[in-house]
Amino acid sequence: MSEADGATEQIIEMRLPSRLGYERIAMDTAASLARRMGFTPERIDALRTAIGEAVTNAIEHGNQADAAMKVVVVLTIRTDELIISVADQGRKVLDPAQTFLQPRITDAFQRADKGGWGIWLIRELMDEVEFSFAPGSGNQVRMVVHLERPPVIKP
Amino acid sequence: MLEDELTVNIRHRDGVAVIDLIGDVTTFAEEKINNAYRQVTDKGARYILFNFRQNDYINSAGIAILIGIVTEVNQNGQRLAVSGLSPHFQKIFRMVGLAQYAEIYQTEDEAISAFKRLNTIN
Repeated sequence: MSEADGATEQIIEMRLPSRLGYERIAMDTAASLARRMGFTPERIDALRTAIGEAVTNAIEHGNQADAAMKVVVVLTIRTDELIISVADQGRKVLDPAQTFLQPRITDAFQRADKGGWGIWLIRELMDEVEFSFAPGSGNQVRMVVHLERPPVIKP
Repeated sequence: MLEDELTVNIRHRDGVAVIDLIGDVTTFAEEKINNAYRQVTDKGARYILFNFRQNDYINSAGIAILIGIVTEVNQNGQRLAVSGLSPHFQKIFRMVGLAQYAEIYQTEDEAISAFKRLNTIN
């Protein structure tokens, strides 16, 4: 990576089968890259959780756990940030309203389904999060984490 | 290959039912965790400790399983604590609100001491 050219980026693409457990491959790969980029262990843990949730959602919901359908994870490495995009094949379209839910544990106690924390966790843990759906492709979530460097003291 | 098995181990220590969760707490863990909880509850456990192993993988499906346990713990008038969580998962337990219903301790020993004090007061 060229430090001089801010526009320089490297792209890594993964195609995962829609089977639970494969989210670990994306988590491990992203964590390994983030470590080399200089992210703190705390940020790397946050990244692992967010990517795990995004890929799990793509497998279970977007692709309805049909192993033949792929989840495409694209990691874009820039000098000051890591961008992670997770896309499924859109067998089931994510309701945009679902991406803004604020779950509460007291509500969960009353419900049979105690879940619904994944997207909320992604939003809480990442610096930028954007959900989209493109007809013919699928659901996509784009997440960005900024690399915080020590402040430069200017004269 | 990737469906990591969770090993659940039940011990009894100073009046506390200690449930060791060794491995990953994801959707695959549901039956094992619920069975362990039922087993100790059927034997009359009042104090339960979920003892995690640092740095394992807990996802939102795992959190949902634990919220299910907390729901029952509250209904059954038991006390639940957790130990061995990495700082990241301690943070997530606080964010979700689980920490309000299951006291977080760094180590198993700390949790057992706290339960002992509770038992003396009650």
